Formats: sequence, structure tokens, C-alpha cells
Amino acid sequence: MRHSQRIGRLSAALLLVATTVAACGGSQDDDAKASAPKAPAAIPELTKDPLTLSFIWFEWPPAQALEAFANEEYKKERPNVTVKVNTVPNANWHDAMFTQFAARKTDFDVAILDSQHIGEAVTNGNILDLTDFVKNNIDVDAYDPYLLAAYGQFPQAETGQRDENASLYGLPLLGDTWTMIYRKDLIGDKPPQTWDEMISAAEKCQADNPGVSGLAFHQANGSDAAAVTYNTVNGVYGGNLWDAKNRKIEGVLNDAAGQEAMDVLVTKMKPLTAKGSGNWFIDEVNAAVAQGKACIAFNWIAASGGLLDPKQSTLGKTREQILGKLGFATLPKQKTDLVPLGGMGMHVSAYASSANQAEALSFMKWFEQADVQKKWAAAGGVPSRKDALASPEFLNAGPFNKVYADSVPRMRDMWNVPEYARLVDIENTNVNAALNGAKSPKDALNDIAKDQQAVLDSSNRKGGGGL
Amino acid sequence: MSEPVSLTTDRPGQADTPKPPAPGRSRRLTDRRLAVAFIAPALLLLLAMSVFPLLWALYLSFTDYSATRGGPANFVWFGNYTAILTSAQVHLRALTTLVYVVGAVGLQTALGFTIAYLISRRTRGRGLLTTLFLVPMMLSPVVVGLFWRFMLDAQFGVVNSMLGSLGLGQVEWLTRQRTALLSLIVVDTWQWTPFIMLIALAGLTAVPKYLYEAASIDRASEWFRFRTITLPLVWPLLLIAVLFRAIEAFRLFDLVYILTSGGPGVSTETLSFHVYKVAFLGFNTGTASAYGILMVLVVIVLTQLYLRYLNKLKED
Amino acid sequence: MAVSVDEAVSAGPVPKHAPPTRRRSGRGRAIVEVALLTVLAVVMLFPVLWMIETSIKENRDVYAVPAKFFDFDVTLDHYRDVFVSSGLSVSFLNSVIVAGASTVLATVLGVPAAWAYSRFTLKAKKDQLFFILSTRFMPPVVVVIPIFLMYRYIGLIDSALGLILIYTAFNVPFTIWMMKGFVDEVPAEYEDAAMLDGYTRLQAFRKFTLPLLVPGIAATAVFALIFSWNEFVFAIFLTSSDEVRTAPPAIAGLIGGTTVDWGLVAASSVVFALPVLIFAYLVRKHLVAGVTLGAVRR
Repeated sequence: MRHSQRIGRLSAALLLVATTVAACGGSQDDDAKASAPKAPAAIPELTKDPLTLSFIWFEWPPAQALEAFANEEYKKERPNVTVKVNTVPNANWHDAMFTQFAARKTDFDVAILDSQHIGEAVTNGNILDLTDFVKNNIDVDAYDPYLLAAYGQFPQAETGQRDENASLYGLPLLGDTWTMIYRKDLIGDKPPQTWDEMISAAEKCQADNPGVSGLAFHQANGSDAAAVTYNTVNGVYGGNLWDAKNRKIEGVLNDAAGQEAMDVLVTKMKPLTAKGSGNWFIDEVNAAVAQGKACIAFNWIAASGGLLDPKQSTLGKTREQILGKLGFATLPKQKTDLVPLGGMGMHVSAYASSANQAEALSFMKWFEQADVQKKWAAAGGVPSRKDALASPEFLNAGPFNKVYADSVPRMRDMWNVPEYARLVDIENTNVNAALNGAKSPKDALNDIAKDQQAVLDSSNRKGGGGL
Repeated sequence: MSEPVSLTTDRPGQADTPKPPAPGRSRRLTDRRLAVAFIAPALLLLLAMSVFPLLWALYLSFTDYSATRGGPANFVWFGNYTAILTSAQVHLRALTTLVYVVGAVGLQTALGFTIAYLISRRTRGRGLLTTLFLVPMMLSPVVVGLFWRFMLDAQFGVVNSMLGSLGLGQVEWLTRQRTALLSLIVVDTWQWTPFIMLIALAGLTAVPKYLYEAASIDRASEWFRFRTITLPLVWPLLLIAVLFRAIEAFRLFDLVYILTSGGPGVSTETLSFHVYKVAFLGFNTGTASAYGILMVLVVIVLTQLYLRYLNKLKED
Repeated sequence: MAVSVDEAVSAGPVPKHAPPTRRRSGRGRAIVEVALLTVLAVVMLFPVLWMIETSIKENRDVYAVPAKFFDFDVTLDHYRDVFVSSGLSVSFLNSVIVAGASTVLATVLGVPAAWAYSRFTLKAKKDQLFFILSTRFMPPVVVVIPIFLMYRYIGLIDSALGLILIYTAFNVPFTIWMMKGFVDEVPAEYEDAAMLDGYTRLQAFRKFTLPLLVPGIAATAVFALIFSWNEFVFAIFLTSSDEVRTAPPAIAGLIGGTTVDWGLVAASSVVFALPVLIFAYLVRKHLVAGVTLGAVRR
């Protein structure tokens, strides 16, 4: 036991060191606490030396499109700048950005945050406050106000209204929403108009075409997959995610409309999906459509480009043949016409060097010009400016772009609060459990409401936060 | 602390035989200096990279510190610990982990020993067989997880395809509560059965031949020989292998992350996976540290008890 | 610890001449045993074969239902993609650097320490050794939190050096334990004799013991290399940029975009696994030593 005594002494000494270091760290953090630092109102003088402007995003085609587009077009303006879009696996996206924020050191200058990540980043002071910069450099009237609010404003108005007095922390990069993808050759050219019609069309199609399932949608418990699915149905059936003003979820999410939405999802929609599709996300839904195994599917517009690639599809040998079979439409309506808001904005890391922050602001100012937005649309991006959204460059770039333009006034986002990552995990796991028979729909919904409410209320708990 | 079970079964005593005293006083001094110079760098690295972080985690575990929110760390003392120990969520993960550890380690021990026994009875082709059986163990958990996910896919996975040609229906391997945990156990068993097999094989071949010869003169039945000669000699080594596997399985993270990401619902979330969520979704660093410390404690205490039991077994 | 696969392979406990009365039942039993072994081998090896097969299939055959076992078109496109269009080559290179450097470092630190533990009488030697081993009992997900905080202060987040250091720290205990076994087997008398000839102990270690340890060092290093090569948890939480990322997180990143190219996943897995399999084959004689002394080796 002599040994353990020695270990004990050693531990005490090391603990002392650890405490000291942590205490020093603590005081450092105190200084940085004053929420988000402000970006300058005017773009500071830019460097003439070679500079690499780094973004962080997750691994998907728009990331490559952005890098190619920026190096092609922004280089004309700023020949000494190279744009690099770092990508991480989708499942690791939030963790990768916020661990770097936690390190107070980022290898990226521009973070492409999911719209709901803004709250967490602002509260922790990780990204620059762009309010003054936007006022002086960006033509805010050119935007759909809700999109500007969704991708930059905090606190965010869940009702979809832009609050002119709220601060802005980002600018739109890529808009997104769900599109309904339907097989014109199986259910007809005209897309179903209501959720009920959609379900019965899928039912009929599945019965008529053995081996093809009626529906395909996101059910996975990673990222925000199952959560967005439930939120969409919840919105369409007139439910609410929360009462933002009173920070109430319990009793709001699981009210009668919420229950009905969960029932529709689990008892009407789930039986029409393929067996074993309970862990499907973007790529699996795409694969099912491309393999001709789904009558009606729902997916993010920005992720749908690959569906028209004949190399990945069994639906046709050319883009035209595929388009003869696949239709893209806005989501059916039921009690409301709400659709989920996806997409991301650009945010300047508070820990980037000042030269890179200046370059990031310059890039954003350049990027938000009318003609650049049109070119971005033509390159496969989804713009947020009203003029770019209505431009032929955008509407003709893909069959789903019209869907996006039509969906803009119908969008609803999730809770944009610092606790987002945990709220969405609670919803994901419970909806996934309900979809896969691990929980009854009613229990799942009540558990979501109860657990999410506990997260919102847990700010003054003594220990054990995050369980 | 009890001493680690000596794994060096051959040449007993040599490792611990003290050196004959060196002739001169000055020589002994340089020896000591040499020993310190040789050991210190390694120990310093371990202190800096393993012990110090652990003690830091120990300190954080008594606070409400969050790595992203910053701000000072307030002491909540045992608040995190009581919250974790009383949380139904944690109990659920502990049960899942227990089922997984017992299932996976049990299955791979049975399979690994069987394979080792069968191989040890072959006279030809053993080298090739052993090497082939070892391949799964050498693969990265990422590769193993990804590829099994592909093979277990309900729609186009090869496993269901083969079941289909046998006239059996599709099984939802990764999306049903029971089958998902079973899949996790099966995949882990696939990867780590070779480990048990290798150690069991070492034990089996170390059994002195003369014991068998003596037994065959006595016309003892094969089962009797297996039970009285083979098993008692292989048993201690096998128990060590089980210990190593159990420790590994207890901290399983990567396979869950890739194969099921804890689903359906949270039914395949292990303790390690839950720690990850606490640590990186809400950045509740204090709670996650306490959670981690508790896991380390469980490993150390159970390992000690197990080793003590092993030593006792040896003495008997 | 001198049991190696080769010994395990050559010397068997099976009596070669069964008593004549049992010969018939013995042959029947042998057939059952061989059959059982074959079935087990097929089951264990099938996933590996399927992976190789998938890596040379056209994508439309990859998804074919029922699965195509033999009649498919062979293509090497996926292998071309691994090196050309996927950006994985950078990750493979990073893996080589990180795994290589951490292995060398662990060997340089671990071998002398193992020698010292084997040769000298030290206070509480067993406790020290157990302590060294126990640092590997910690779940990586737990260690990654304080390591992360520590790296944050010294600026090692998202750096190859950071990964090298943590991998070295995980490999040193293993190296010390395994090498101590090898050093124990080299008679100390060699060094004593050399010292009587006028060499210092250090010289005796370098000139006489070290050359005898080379095969052991090679075997130990391969295990350290395999651990660093396959490691995922630290890699995904401590690095984020393409320039630093090692292969395991990069391969994991191949799924979860908008499409999954299972052919590419399979091809990159094969390419990634090959070096390890080759090394494992080269040190097959020492595998048993590796897994038993390596304690909590991955």
C-alpha cells in the first residue's frame, strides 16, 4: 500500500497544477465572455499578399461547387486569394466546428453554420456580430426578409418575421428546403396537392408496383434527419414546435395537432416505406429514388442534383429520360402549407486573424451582389436575393429550383437557441424510436416534450447538466 | 494494488530474479542513473499525456465547466456524480453496455476457443489457417463498421440477399431494437474472435505432450483428457484474454458511431457513446468528465477484483 | 513469452497414432472437425472477400438484388477514384506520417525503458509496470475531453504533432510491456561478460543486447503501427482539416453526403487495410506475444 500512498501524494500535486491551469484558463474565458465581438462597419484594407480564405462545411456536392465557383469568380476580383472549403463528415459537422470554437482557435475563417447553430455560436462569442457591416455594405432590401433572418439573425423570430432591431451574425450562402420527388410514370404528371392525397397516391402506387415502396424520407437518428421529418409533418398538420416567448415545449409540441402529426407519420407514412429504411438519411433516399424503388420521396433540394446524373441512376440513360420519370414539386399542404427551412449562412470566425476576417467580409460583400448571386445560382447554388431567385439563371439551372422559389414564403425553422444540438438529438432519437417500433408514437412525443423542456429549464441546475 | 498476473508462463522466475549485486559502489550508482535516464522519458510522457489529463478531468468532474461556454468553473462537488448515478438515462445505457459486453465477449470466447481447439488438432495447414483467421482483427473499426453496415442493409445487403435465396424473409438488422444490438454483438464477435483464438491457441499448444501420452496410456476418454488436462491449463490464459476483451468492449465507441449511431432510438447507445453526446452535443464538460471518471473507476475496480480472483484460482 | 504462431503451428498435442480400436470413429470425427473448421473459416472470411469483390464491381452490380457473387463486370474504376478524385491520397499520406512517427517515438522511448525495467532492481517495479499498463484502460472518449482542453492551451488541436503525441502515449505502455518480455529472454550474462571486458553497461546494451532485440522491436513496432494506423476516436475529435486528417475519419466521411459510393468505400478500405495485413503477415511469428503483452491493444 506504500505505493498507493505515493500515488496519492503525486495525485494531490498534479491536481494542484491542474487546478491552477484551469483557473488561469477560467480567467481567460471571463475576458472573452462579452458575447460576440463586432465586425468593423467598413471592410478594412485588404492584403496584397497571397492569402487562403478557409471555409468549413460538410462533405457534399455544394461544398465542391462553392470552392470551384469562388476560385473561378472571386479570383477575378482578388487574384491573390485562394478559397479552400474544408469538409467534414455530415455526422461530425457540428462537433467539428464547435470543438474548434471551444479551442478558441479555428482553422477556418468562415464557418458555414446550420441556421439553428447560430444561437450556440453567438452565445459563446464564437462568430462576429455583422450588424454594422451589413448596414453599410449589404442591400438588405434585396432579400427575402425571412431568409435574411433565418441565416443571420439572433435571437431569431420563429414566426418568420425579420426583426429590424435584432443583430445579424451571418449572411445567406445556400438556401434549401424539402422537395417532393415523385414518379410521373407511376403516379401521374400532376403531383398530389394535400398530404392525404400524397399518402393515398403512395399507397396505390405501392400496391400497383411490387418492389417499389410508396414513400422514402429521412428517418435516421443522426444529424437532424428524423427530427426534420417530424417537424415537417407537425407543421403541415398545424402543430407548433414550441412557444418561443415563454420557452414552453411541454404541452405545445405534444398538443392535439402534434399528436395527430406523429400518428400520421408513424401509422400512415411509415408503413409505406421500405423495410429497414429506419436509418435512412439523404443518401439512402437518393439511392432509393435512383434505383427506382420509391414512388414518392422527400429530400433536401441542395442534395437532389445527383438524381439527374445518368451514371448513378437506373431510371434513364440521359438527363431527359430521367426527367421524364421524375417530377419535383413543392410539399403538399394539409392544415397549413409550411415547409422546413434548410440551408446555411456564412459566419466569420471570431478567432481568425484580422487579415482573414477582413478578407471574409470582402468575400461576403462580393458574394451578395446581384450578378454574383445569379452566377452562383447558375453554378448550382441556391441564392437568397429576391432578384436572383426570380432570375432565369436560377430557375433554369435545375428542375427543383422553381420548387425552392415557390417554397420561400412557406418556410418554418426549428428552435434557434444555444441548446439546439441537444434539443435536436432528443427529437431525433425519439422520432427514430417511434418509427422503428422502439416506442409508441404517443410516448415518443411526450418524451420529446418532457426532455426538451428539461433542457430549456436546466440552466440553473447543480451538476449533471447534459444527461 | 495487486500485482498483474504474470503472462510469461515459460521461463518462470527469470524476469523477477534480482540481478547479482554489481561489484563496485560507483557502478551501482551509474546503473541507477542509467535506469532513471532510460525510464524517465517514457514515464514523463505518460504523466503528461495520460495522468495529467485524467487528473484534470477529475478536477473538472466536480465543476459545472463547459468547454464552449467558457466562464469560470463553479464547484458543484458531487452534483455531477449523484446526477449520473441516479439518472435513468445512464442506467439504460449501462444495461445496454452490459448486455453487449456479456453477449459479445461470451460469444467470441466460445467461438474463439472452438476454432483454436479445432486448429490445434490439425497437423497440416495450421500456419495458413491461423493467419487467415486473424484478418478481421487487423482491420480498422471504421472499415469494419462501414462494411458491415453495407452487408446488413435490409434492402440490398448481401446478408438479406442470402437469407432471401434460402427462402427466408428480410430482417431489419440495424433498425429494430433487438436485432440492432444483436448486430453490434455479431460484428464485434466477427472482429475479435481471432483475438481469443490466438491466445487460446497459444495455451493449447503449450500443453506438454507427455501429459496426453500419460493419459492415453491410462486409456482415459478424450472428454476426460480435455476436461482434466487441456482446460485447466488453458483456462488462466483464456481468462486473461476475456479480461482484455471485456475492457475493450466496455469502452466501445467507434463501432456504435458508425454502425447504428445508437439507434433505433437510443437502444444501442453504449456508455461511451452517451459520454460522447454529453461531451460534444451540449458541451457539458463537467458532467462528461464525471461520467468518464466513473467509467474508469468501474474498469479499475472490476479489473482488480477479476485479477484477484484469477490469482486465487492459480493458487488453488 | 516465447509462444509464437509458428510453434503453435508446428508442435501439436494431438497424438499422431490413435489407438487402433478408435481409428474408425477417429476418422469420422476428423471429417466433422475439418468440415466445422471450413464452415467457420468461410464465415469469418466471407466479409473480407465480399469487400474485395465489391471494390471491383460496377456500381449497378453493387446494389443488385439478389446479390451477384460471380457474374459481374470487373472494373478498377473505384481504385482509380481512391487515388485520383476522392482526395483520399492526402489522408493516406497523413496516416503514414502520423502512424510512422508515433511508432518510432514509442519505440525510442519504450525500448530503453523496457530494458531498464528488465535489468535493474527498482523500487515498486511491479506497481510501476501495472500503473503503466493501466493508463491504457481509459476509454478514449473519456481521455479525449481533457486532452482536447490541454491541446487547446498549447495549440496542438488539429495538428499532426498532437495526434503523434497521443498515439505515442497510447503505444508506450504497450511497447514497454512487450519489449520487457523480449529483453527478459536475452540472458543478462551477455552484458555482464561484456562489462568484464571493459565495456560500460550502456555500451554493453548497445553492442550486445540491442542487436538481439531487433526481431522483437520489429514485432512490437508493427503492433504500435497497427494501433496508430486504425485509430479513429482521437482522429475525429482532435483534427478537422483536410490537411491533417488521417484515413479512418476520411473513409468514414465517404458516407453521409448525398450519395453513397459503396464501391469506393470498399476500394479505399482494401487499400487502407493492405499495409496492415502485409505487416501482420511479416510478423506472424510474434502475434501471440503482441496480443497477450499488449494488454488493451486495438
